[in-house]
Amino acid sequence: MDSLFLQQVLNGLITGSVYSLIAIGLTMIFGVMKISNFAQGDYSMVGAYTAVFVMAWVGGWLGWIGSVVAAAAVVGLLGVVTERLVFRPLMTRWTDIDMIMVSIGLFILLDNLAQLFFGATPRMIGDPFGGTTVNLGVASTSLLRLFCFFFAGVTIFCLELFLNRSRMGVAIRATSQNRFAAQLMGIDINQVYRITFGVGALLAGVGGVLYGTLFAIYPTMGALPTLKAFAVTILGGMGNIRGAIWGGLILGVAEALGGNYIAMEYKQAIGFFIIILVLLVKPSGLFGRKEGA
Amino acid sequence: MSARLRNILLWIVALAVLILIPFVVEDRYFMHIAVMAGIFTILTLSWNLLAGYTGQLNLGHAAFYGIGAYTSAILAMQTGLSPWLGLFAGGLVAAVFGLMLGFPALRLSGPYLAITTIGFAEILRLVAMNWVDLTRGSLGLSGVPLLTPIKIGDFTMQFYFERDYYYVVVAGVLFTLFCIRRLIGSEFGVTLQAMRDDEAGAQSIGINPSSYKLAVFTISAFFAGFAGGLFAHFARLVSPELLALHNTFDILTMAMIGGLGTIAGPILGAVSLTILSEALRSMEEVLKIDIRLIVYGLLLILTILFMREGLVGVIKNVWARVKGDR
Repeated sequence: MDSLFLQQVLNGLITGSVYSLIAIGLTMIFGVMKISNFAQGDYSMVGAYTAVFVMAWVGGWLGWIGSVVAAAAVVGLLGVVTERLVFRPLMTRWTDIDMIMVSIGLFILLDNLAQLFFGATPRMIGDPFGGTTVNLGVASTSLLRLFCFFFAGVTIFCLELFLNRSRMGVAIRATSQNRFAAQLMGIDINQVYRITFGVGALLAGVGGVLYGTLFAIYPTMGALPTLKAFAVTILGGMGNIRGAIWGGLILGVAEALGGNYIAMEYKQAIGFFIIILVLLVKPSGLFGRKEGA
Repeated sequence: MSARLRNILLWIVALAVLILIPFVVEDRYFMHIAVMAGIFTILTLSWNLLAGYTGQLNLGHAAFYGIGAYTSAILAMQTGLSPWLGLFAGGLVAAVFGLMLGFPALRLSGPYLAITTIGFAEILRLVAMNWVDLTRGSLGLSGVPLLTPIKIGDFTMQFYFERDYYYVVVAGVLFTLFCIRRLIGSEFGVTLQAMRDDEAGAQSIGINPSSYKLAVFTISAFFAGFAGGLFAHFARLVSPELLALHNTFDILTMAMIGGLGTIAGPILGAVSLTILSEALRSMEEVLKIDIRLIVYGLLLILTILFMREGLVGVIKNVWARVKGDR
C-alpha cells in the first residue's frame, strides 16, 4: 500500500468522525421522536458561526476549545427552543409529510436568517496551532485536524456515558425502544423529547465547529452536513447510534478515496450513491436491526 | 341557473380575464413575473399530484424541470428540432427519468424516499455541471432558440416579447390543469385517494399500489419536464441551477401554502407566492436586505402549524361562514 492511499484513509477518518458526530444527533432525534430533521445541518452552521465569533474574541487554542463549549451551549438551547415551538405542536397529529416539510421550512428560515445576520462572505477558522503538522509515520496531518478527530471522539464518548449511566439517558433509550411502555413507567415524555432534541442539536453544533474548522463557513453551508448526515444515518440504520459512528467513518473514507481515485467532481455525490445502494440492498442499514425491532 | 352552466360561465370569465390581462397591464416586467408564475403553477400542480394525492414526498422535482429544460434546449440547438415539439420531448424524457426513479422509489416512503429523490437530483445536477461537452457545465447553455412563429393564414404569431410567452404559458397551465383534473376525477384518481388514505384497504380489494404510484411518478415528471421546456425557450438560458434543491423547496412551499391535495391550492400558492416574492424584492431597496426566503420559510412553518389546509382551506372556511350568515 502506498502512502498516498494511507494518507487519504487518514483524511477520510478525520472528516468521517465529524460526519458521525452530526449524524448521531440526527439518528437520535429520529430514533426517539421519529422526526427526520432536514434542518440538522443548520444547527451545525450556527455552531460554526458561534466559533467564528468566539475565536474573534478569545483566539488561540483556548478560543478554539472555548468555541466548542460555546457552540454546544448555544445550539443545544436553539434545539430546545425549536423543538418546543416547531416540532412539539406536531407530535400529536404526526405525519411524515408534515414533519419533513416543517423541518424544511426551518432549514429555509435558518439558512436565510444566517445570510441576513452574517453576510454571504465565507469565513475561516484560523489554525490556533499555527499550522503545526504531525507525522504519524505512514501519513501526516495537521495538529488541528487531529484535535478535530479527538474532540469528535470525546463528544461521542460523553454521549455514550450520558445515555448509559444517567437516569435521563436511560429514559431516552427506553422511549426510543417503546414510547408507550416508557410513558406507563412514569417517564415524562415531553421532557425526554426536549432533552433528546437539545442533545441532538448540540451534537450537530459541536460537529459544526469541527466541520467549520475543516471546511469553509458560509450561511448556506448547512445543506451539505444535512445530506451527509442522512447518508450516514441510512448507511448505519435510522435510529442506530453505533451505526451512525461506523457509517460516518465509512462515508468519510469513501469520499476521500473516491474523490482521489475515481472523480473529484463527483465527490459530493458519493454519499448519494451509497444511500441508493444501501436502500436497494439492505434498507435497514448495514448495522440495522430487523424491521420492527 | 344549473351548477353546470354556472361552472362553464365561471370558466369563460376566468379565461377572458387571463386573455385580457396583457392589454390592461403592458409592463414587460409584470409579464415576465406572470410567465414565471405560470411555469411554477405547472411545477406545483405536478408535484402536488404525487405528494397530495399519493402522499409520497418527492424532493427531486427540480431535476425533472432541469431535464425538460436541457432536453428541449439541446434538441433545438443541436438537431434543429422545432421548440414546440421540444416542449413535449422534454416532458417525455423527464417522464422516462421519472419511471426510472419511480421503480426503486416505490419501495421507499417518508424520509427514505425524500433523501433518495434529493440524491437523484443532486447527482444529475453534478452531471449537468460536469458533462461540459453537452451542457457547457456551470456556464449553462445560452442563446436557446425562441419558440418559432406560428402562421395561421395571413396572420403570423411571433414569440418574442414576454406577452407572447404569457399566452403560451397560460395555454400550458390550462393543458396541465385539464389533464390533471381529468386524471383526479377519473376512477384512477379515486383509486389514488383511496390508496393514500388506506393502502392496506385498497390492496385488499385488488388494487396494486405499485403500478399506480409508478404511473403518477411518471406523469408528474412529464409535466415538470414540460415546464422546464417552457422555461428554456422563454429565458433562453439553461443552467445546472435549475436542478438545485432550492427550486424544489420553492415548489413544495407553494403547494403547502396553497393547500396540499387540492387542485386550486397549487395554483393559488404558485401565483400568490410569486407575486409576494416580487413585492418583497421591491421592498429590498427600502429594507436593504433580501427577506424573500425568510418569509418563505416562516410561511411554510406557520402554514403547517396553524393552517394545514392552506389558502384553499381558509377560503373554504370563510365562504362557509358567509353562507351560514345568510
